[in-house]
Amino acid sequence: MWWKVILFLIMVWVIVAAFAYPAPQQQIGDASRIFYFHVPQAWVAVLAFCFSLVGSVNYLKKRNLVDDDRARVAAELGTLFCILATVTGSIFAKVTWHSFWNWDPRETSIFILLLIYGAYFALRSAIDGPEKRARLAAVYAIFAFVTMPFLIFVVPRVLPSLHPSDSIVGESGKITMSGETAMIFFPSLAAFTILFIWIYRLGLRVSRRQRELVEEAMR
Amino acid sequence: MTSNYTVMVVTLVIWIGIFSYLVILDRKTKRLEGKK
Repeated sequence: MWWKVILFLIMVWVIVAAFAYPAPQQQIGDASRIFYFHVPQAWVAVLAFCFSLVGSVNYLKKRNLVDDDRARVAAELGTLFCILATVTGSIFAKVTWHSFWNWDPRETSIFILLLIYGAYFALRSAIDGPEKRARLAAVYAIFAFVTMPFLIFVVPRVLPSLHPSDSIVGESGKITMSGETAMIFFPSLAAFTILFIWIYRLGLRVSRRQRELVEEAMR
Repeated sequence: MTSNYTVMVVTLVIWIGIFSYLVILDRKTKRLEGKK
């Protein structure tokens, strides 16, 4: 229970400080405060897709349906946080570039990533047998993950983009954020990570109980 | 500045809502696990 209290307090600190302290990028103004939520959400999405990859690889190795649950729950959360990052990014885009959607390389690549993971769930829902579903979904999830670093890290850096790229690390590789910004940003990163792990574990417990109930009913 | 505080309060309310929901869900899951 203690870590839940810590999570609650860290997030309260992040929310209060994000709006009470000066905006992290003065030239952009108040809209740049969204940085404290948008970047950790994107980070959690990447982390969740990594969890999904690990679960999928483990399933193919051991053929244990618990690993399939791990991959599915992680992919669900990755998609959820990816949508949240897209929505917060769109709000930022509306304020700074006067349009919710600009087909900027980063927006386009996140849209493609959402389609790829959307297809993962479509694939899962189209297959009946749990073993066959888990096997095909695991293979698909591995291929889906391979596109992720390319879409999130490579495309937006190779093509010219409106998206600010020097908020954390500058072109020279040095950390550009001020101490004040770091004091809010890193706790936010930690809080979102703990929140993800909490929901992930909760999702796994619910899946396990569901499976047990199905097995009990079949007996 | 006032609008910043309004957004802060709205965000805090959303966070308290999400946190409470998760705590309740956690308890319910524990209760279900205990019924095995």
